[in-house]
Amino acid sequence: MKSNQAKRAVFDVLLFYVLIFAVWQALFSAGLIPEYLFPSPAQVGKRLWELAADGYLLHNVKATLERMAVGFSIAAAIGLAIGLLMGTSRIVNSCLKSLFLGLQTLPTAAWVPISLLIFGLSVHGIYFVIILSSVPAMAIATSTGILHIPPLYLRAAQTLGTRWYAMPACVILPAALPAIITGLKLGWTFGWHGCVSAELIKSISGLGFLLSMGREVNDAPQVIGIMVVTILFGLLLDRFLFGIIEQRIRIRWGLEQNE
Amino acid sequence: MEGQAPQPNGPPTTKLGITNVSKIFQSANQTVEALGPLDLEVKEGECVIFFGPSGCGKSTLLNLIAGFEAPSSGEIVLEGKPVTKPGSDRLMLFQEHGLFPWLNVIRNVTFGLRNERRFRFRPRKRREVARSWLKLMHLEEFEKALVHELSGGMKQRVALARALAPDPKVLLIDEPFPALDALVRAKLYGDLQEILVRTRKTIISVTHDPREAACLGDRVVVFTPRPGKIKKEIQVDLPRPRDINDPKVAEYATQIMGELEGQPDEKQPS
Repeated sequence: MKSNQAKRAVFDVLLFYVLIFAVWQALFSAGLIPEYLFPSPAQVGKRLWELAADGYLLHNVKATLERMAVGFSIAAAIGLAIGLLMGTSRIVNSCLKSLFLGLQTLPTAAWVPISLLIFGLSVHGIYFVIILSSVPAMAIATSTGILHIPPLYLRAAQTLGTRWYAMPACVILPAALPAIITGLKLGWTFGWHGCVSAELIKSISGLGFLLSMGREVNDAPQVIGIMVVTILFGLLLDRFLFGIIEQRIRIRWGLEQNE
Repeated sequence: MEGQAPQPNGPPTTKLGITNVSKIFQSANQTVEALGPLDLEVKEGECVIFFGPSGCGKSTLLNLIAGFEAPSSGEIVLEGKPVTKPGSDRLMLFQEHGLFPWLNVIRNVTFGLRNERRFRFRPRKRREVARSWLKLMHLEEFEKALVHELSGGMKQRVALARALAPDPKVLLIDEPFPALDALVRAKLYGDLQEILVRTRKTIISVTHDPREAACLGDRVVVFTPRPGKIKKEIQVDLPRPRDINDPKVAEYATQIMGELEGQPDEKQPS
């Protein structure tokens, strides 16, 4: 059920985007920047339409999403496992925390050269970049979530006869789930950055490839159009996939009030 | 709720034995003698209340019985077996409900049953037992509800059902229901006594409220301030169910309180 207020907010946001396009069009019409560098919204739209019409755009979006699906799944498994270890062992945590915090400050694109050295142009190099871009954030979020579990839950589980080997599955992971989902969301974003960066240089398909191809043939409408598509898919998955799951979990765990 | 029929006649046997138990907390720069050494025996089906000022070590003793901590000396024995670690035979009900928000009401109640050998691989049986306890707590309509959808009193009743479902040999209660308003508490005292009478469950509870002690306890153990030792044991010979506002309960409460007041320069319970 949507209230009037929510409808109003959606309307305001739509208005905001219309305004952006209007300003964009106005800047174009003023002719301050040469047309080949700064295309109009219509030119970008036309180019995107051309790319979409023969299935080329979809093919490349699919290529990027498939790489993300594989790379991110592996990264999530690794990040969760390391996070669980960090969250349950003081020594592992103190050793790995500074390392991962350090790695997190590294721009994701900085993994691309080393992946070229190791893997050449193969797709494994892209997985490598996705994994190394996203694992640190997920491991840190998971371990922080575990370390902040209310001790009451652990004691309650113990007194209810839960054995130590059942604790991760029965209590630790579910109790830390809100933090873990936030970490997955963050990891997805970093992985997405890394994936597109890697595709810029070492791929013959994907959104990153379309960007760099557009640059090579001086096709500004394509470059800008693909940037918009990249933003849209990033936003879509962040908000509507992870965002909705995250919010539902936070409400159920009693961390947020249902509105 | 099988196997909880009242004991047949004959003298009640010793359920829990506490022998020469003490607890000393040691940190880098200080040593605190929190408890004992003390001896205590809890009989089958008895409701024993530990009563004393804050910091007298009564909660520490409860934690030792639950197995969350090990005593510095002495031994705690449940039905002949020494206590070494937490377990569902000495189930603890906490001050805060401690329900798991990721599970609904009935799954919270079956949580402990999953760890019991006799319920392993028998989900239907687990649900049956959980439902019967929820029914006793008048919560049968809420089995699918989520924890955050319940009121404070309902949460405590679910926690009580969860604690009783695995049929613990001893139920430990750390300050029953402190965060609730007076009306809800009075109702929970009633529920708890109904369970006492119906299941003859052995209960050990901690409180700093003398009325609560007199209302719930068969025997009230009054503790001295730190290090906590047993100052006096008072038998409460009143029929159940008892009303917390009954003048006879108040009389016992005065007597229990009087035991504390003899102690010089120590903080009184609030």
